[in-house]
Amino acid sequence: MSAHPTAHSRPGRTTRRAVGTVAAAAVTMLLLLGLLVAPPDAVQGQPQRLMYLHVPAAWVAYLSFATVLVASLGYLWRRDLRWDTRAQAAAEIGTGLTALTLALGSLWGRPVWGVWWAWDPRVVSTAVLLLVYVGYLGVRGLSADPHINARRAAIIGVLGFVEVPIVHFSVLWWRSLHQPPTVLRPGGARPIAVPMLAALLTGVAAFTLLAAWVYLRRLEQLATRCVPTIADASDAAPPPNPIHVHAGETR
Amino acid sequence: MSEPGWNGPRHGWLVLRRELAVEAASRETLVTVTPYVAVLVLLGGLAFGPRPAVLAATAPGLVWLVVLITAIPLAPTVAVAEQQDDAWDLLRSLTTPSTLLVGKVAAVWLWLLAGWGLATVLTVALFGAGATGAGIAGGLIGTAGIATVTVLLGTLLPAATRRPALLAVLLLPATLPALVAGTQTATAGVPASAWLMLLAVFDLLTVTVTWAVFPALLED
Repeated sequence: MSAHPTAHSRPGRTTRRAVGTVAAAAVTMLLLLGLLVAPPDAVQGQPQRLMYLHVPAAWVAYLSFATVLVASLGYLWRRDLRWDTRAQAAAEIGTGLTALTLALGSLWGRPVWGVWWAWDPRVVSTAVLLLVYVGYLGVRGLSADPHINARRAAIIGVLGFVEVPIVHFSVLWWRSLHQPPTVLRPGGARPIAVPMLAALLTGVAAFTLLAAWVYLRRLEQLATRCVPTIADASDAAPPPNPIHVHAGETR
Repeated sequence: MSEPGWNGPRHGWLVLRRELAVEAASRETLVTVTPYVAVLVLLGGLAFGPRPAVLAATAPGLVWLVVLITAIPLAPTVAVAEQQDDAWDLLRSLTTPSTLLVGKVAAVWLWLLAGWGLATVLTVALFGAGATGAGIAGGLIGTAGIATVTVLLGTLLPAATRRPALLAVLLLPATLPALVAGTQTATAGVPASAWLMLLAVFDLLTVTVTWAVFPALLED
């Protein structure tokens, strides 16, 4: 029995290759729009171009953590390790992208804010979000039983998502150095120059497609690694000549 | 117990009484919480002092930091007896997971409240900080949410001794709203109503999530 039919099968690989090709095209488009077409910001200058990476990384991290939430609920509901694999793959991507978001924000903050790090609600809550999902990944190795690991991780996956709206709305709830949402602003969008908006939206599309490609690849890897534990035991033939070795016995 | 829903409050009280009896016999929490609180407040005074104005300004934040740090050694004690003696199955046969949760959270809430109270008294005495009604309300509400998260993670990670830092990594960020809002409720000159509301929302969220996932936790 294949644990991940979509990942192992030819249609699954074809889908992944197609996603990878479109992602590569989107990244090329992002580079063109972000570096050549969009003008430098009137106030922030060239460092503002980092926003075409920083904002998409943050948004796709949110999307990844939403996937973790859905997959965690799926595992708790169905008790099927395939949901746990989906949650793990998404959490790894989300954690990496959150770290990237903080790193890019720090690179941007030095020339614009004058500091690498600020005790700003958005920055601190994002760092906390990173810690939560590092903990989520850490929980997975505590037990030898994959179902115990999956159950513990699923609970952290549900609890951890509470942090995501706190991060997103922190700039509205608290006084913050960080600018409020530009595109998804409550009460209507603030005008943004069309070339800048195009670069930003292309960045979101490119990061989403890249993350989807990595996700599919990671699912395939995890499925290969977990086949003996995920595979339905009823499908597996019993060993022809079982050997019983008890504790304390010597051969 | 044929009607656990009907007997829920009584069973919750029985679980709490059991926790109190275990504590009375072992004094485990007393010897865990009291030295932690006392040492942390004294070290805080050394770190932030000796200027009285600085000590008074940092006292509210220090109290909540102490409460959060105290929750770390408390968490592994939440379910250690049940895990070691395989008592979860027995308890589940007697009552519902919700009732067990209520009893456990009530007990941890009492321990954390005691720690918060001791830290507050020490900072009032040693730091010259004031104790306000809003600060006391914040203490009552905020420690309830922290207690809920402590029970959740204490039950989730009973064998986390292999990775002791994992508990801190999960517990401290999850209780961050209590740290921020609790500190604000106890800070002089800050309107407390919005922060008390935030603490109440934090409690509601943590209780709802923990109540939803607690039955799955007891399957270990």
